[in-house]
Amino acid sequence: MELAWYALLGLFFASYLVLGGYDYGVGLLLARGGPATRRAGLTALGPFFLGNEVWLVAFVGILFGAFPTLEGELLSGFYPVVVGALVGVILVTVGVQLRSRPRSAAARAGWDRVVVVGSALAAFGWGGLLGGLLQGVPLHADGHVAGVTHLATPFAAATGLAMLALVAAHGATFLTLRLPAADAAALGRLAGRLVPVAVVAVVAATALGLLSDRVRATVQQPTAAVLLPSALVTALLVARAALARRRPGVAFAATGAALALPVALVGATLWPAVLVSTVDPAATLTVAEAAASGPTLRLLGWLTIPLLPALLGFQAMCWWVFRGRTDGRAPVYW
Amino acid sequence: MDTLLLARLQFATTTSIHFLFVVVTLGLVTLLVGMQTAWFLTGNPKWERLTRFWGQLYVINYVLGIATGIVMEFQFGLNWSGLSRYVGNVFGAPLAIETLVAFFLESTFLGMWIFGWHRLRRGVHLALLWGVALTAYASAFWIMVANAWLQNPVGYEVRDGIAHLTDFGALLTNPTFGMAFGHVVAAALLTGGILMAAVSAWHLLRRTPDFALFRTSLRLGLVTAAGAVTLVQGFGFAQFGPIGQVQPTKFGGSPAADALVAEWTARFGPGDYTPPALASVGLGFMILIGFTLGAVWLLLPLLWRDWIIRLRFPLWLTMLALPLPFVAVILGWIAREVGRQPWVAYGLLPTEQAVSRVDPGLMLASLIGFSLLLGALAVTNWTLLARHAARGAADPALGRPPGTPDDEPRPAPAFA
Ligand code: HDD
Ligand code: HEM
Ligand code: HEM
Repeated sequence: MELAWYALLGLFFASYLVLGGYDYGVGLLLARGGPATRRAGLTALGPFFLGNEVWLVAFVGILFGAFPTLEGELLSGFYPVVVGALVGVILVTVGVQLRSRPRSAAARAGWDRVVVVGSALAAFGWGGLLGGLLQGVPLHADGHVAGVTHLATPFAAATGLAMLALVAAHGATFLTLRLPAADAAALGRLAGRLVPVAVVAVVAATALGLLSDRVRATVQQPTAAVLLPSALVTALLVARAALARRRPGVAFAATGAALALPVALVGATLWPAVLVSTVDPAATLTVAEAAASGPTLRLLGWLTIPLLPALLGFQAMCWWVFRGRTDGRAPVYW
Repeated sequence: MDTLLLARLQFATTTSIHFLFVVVTLGLVTLLVGMQTAWFLTGNPKWERLTRFWGQLYVINYVLGIATGIVMEFQFGLNWSGLSRYVGNVFGAPLAIETLVAFFLESTFLGMWIFGWHRLRRGVHLALLWGVALTAYASAFWIMVANAWLQNPVGYEVRDGIAHLTDFGALLTNPTFGMAFGHVVAAALLTGGILMAAVSAWHLLRRTPDFALFRTSLRLGLVTAAGAVTLVQGFGFAQFGPIGQVQPTKFGGSPAADALVAEWTARFGPGDYTPPALASVGLGFMILIGFTLGAVWLLLPLLWRDWIIRLRFPLWLTMLALPLPFVAVILGWIAREVGRQPWVAYGLLPTEQAVSRVDPGLMLASLIGFSLLLGALAVTNWTLLARHAARGAADPALGRPPGTPDDEPRPAPAFA
């Protein structure tokens, strides 16, 4: 039963990275172009924005309900990255939703800058968190993580940057798929240039990981640690090829997979642990230990599993209703 | 400064900001449902315009509800990891249910509602707003279940120093839940009603266009506020019974409180088990505000033949009342939360054991950072709200037909 909940937890975080990922990607791309370009990007995001971010909220909810011990140790053990990512999420949430409420061009440009900064912080923070999990934490037997300096490694920085590059490529691919056909070609070229950057960033992070003693000591399943980064790079190459052949749908699916894979990577390489201790092997926290006790999981199961189809159904309804490329008749609000 | 104090300060600041926004969300969405349903049923364009105008304010307000809510959610793990370790099995369940059952759908629905004007059939569009409202109430329901459990832990047993869930039903029948939930919902309606009446009063005093529109929303707001204030008072006084029984130390000395303190001293060792006086002070002022706002009833007869508008001074009074419900909700929460000190979970988990073992410097940095960030965002948001409220109902961006020239910027005024 713990495994099912662990998979669900991973599913929600991965979905958040895929869906929130293109929000942040589009957010980063607000750094370029004039008001009309930025308006087009935000209109493309439009109806999906609120429904994307909520995967993060649900992820933390499941984390708290089904893995209470993990929640406390994970979040407080990674204090600075989590706070950084959180600040980023807040800036994006507020920036996107409020940027069009003032009417002056200067105010809107100011909010757009807030969104750019927020998107960068969020992507970097979540990437750093995933990297941090892979390099283990100084977790003590009484369940607390000592200090925060354990985070400051080249590997964690590299995973943060890799996430940033992934998100930018994913966002550009999303816009290629969603903007009016006339504007899509230029974005396709941009995405085509960003994907190789992401490949380089991912490969560099992987190399740093392989060189790091801490990461090698933390990995529990070496096969997964090799296979999944390869799958990630493959997904990016598929995206590159699809962009070159003007198949934005395929490319978007591929960059989406590239954003989901890091979560699978962390989950699978650490299994059966979730938090590996670098100071005391006995303190390592396994999935089973991190999970809530039986009655709580059963209760949550009875209440939420029947609801999942409804949750997914309404999200799917949103995608369906607002599918296709934006055009002059697309509602403008953000 | 120690980590505990900083963590408490941070919780108090961020939750207070969160609540100032969600209380409006909860109140306004109820009124919006009424207005859009009236539009659907009568087809009268007046209701559509009302829905768009108030909907615009609602959506702007909502932004900070989300932003601060996300901080709240993470804060449990960041600053209160002891809470999840010792009582997470029980306390986490309602929070998890809330996020999945309520927030997830609420935001999905709201996104479709904002962008669905002119695209979805009117019935579907209305159903989405109903969905938003119902899930908002569901979220208040579950968060109050969680909070009530901290006030009075029930339905659990402690094994190996950790609380395990034994009886979920007990969480729902918790004596600290029912009346408090009613009180909070009524307070939200009261706040929404007063807000609507006050903004309308401003327009009527300034004699801006759209007299008929703001006349309607003034009446709607005042009637709602009057009904709600009575409910607030009823549910408020009804809370004293259960509180006296399960939290005798909350509002000052009594034989039951002394007995409980003696018991705790025996079990947990000597300590200061009486909450700060701040709790009772907050309570007193809130009740004062509750009675003051009860005077809304006196304005209702003046609705006859629009005397309320012709006399003008009642409009001024309505505007002056606007800050009161906001002050009251914060005071009420201070009474409830400070009154349960020194416990996070009353009689079960002392606050000092729940706090994360984070370096005080880090905690201070995050306290200052989040307070400044959320405070600045809150002020910005209220400024935008005030501007949009003042701009009137001529052409809100919400629900503007697609293809109409957007208000995409005219050249910015030159500052240099
Ligand atoms: C518009 C806001 C508002 C107004 C006018 C009032 N209250 Fe209130 N009160 C709240 C908004 C509120 C609140 C913020 O919603 C609280 C905080 C926690 C809760 O359950 O409701 C609260 C808490 C709260 C508590 C503390 C519950 C606890 O400690 O567990 C009591 C005893 C009362 N109220 C009683 C009253 C009475 C007797 C009132 C007036 C006659 C009154 N309140 C007016
Ligand atoms: C309903 C959901 C809520 C939950 C689950 C909750 C939970 C908590 C927790 C865990 C703490 C920190 C531990 C402690 O100091 O006891 C706390 C403190 C506090 N909360 Fe809440 N809270 C809720 C709502 C609110 C709201 C809406 C307010 C609005 C003002 C509020 C005001 C405070 C204050 C002032 C403190 C500090 C008390 C003190 O440390 O002296 N709470 N609450
Ligand atoms: C301290 C505990 C609390 C936590 C952890 C919390 C968490 C959250 C979160 C994460 C959101 C954003 C959801 C989204 O993305 O849509 C949110 C919004 C909301 N919260 Fe809270 N909340 C707390 C206290 C409260 C209280 C006491 C109430 C009311 C009784 C409340 C009512 C709402 C409502 C109605 C919303 C949705 C509307 C909006 O975003 O403005 N919350 N909360």
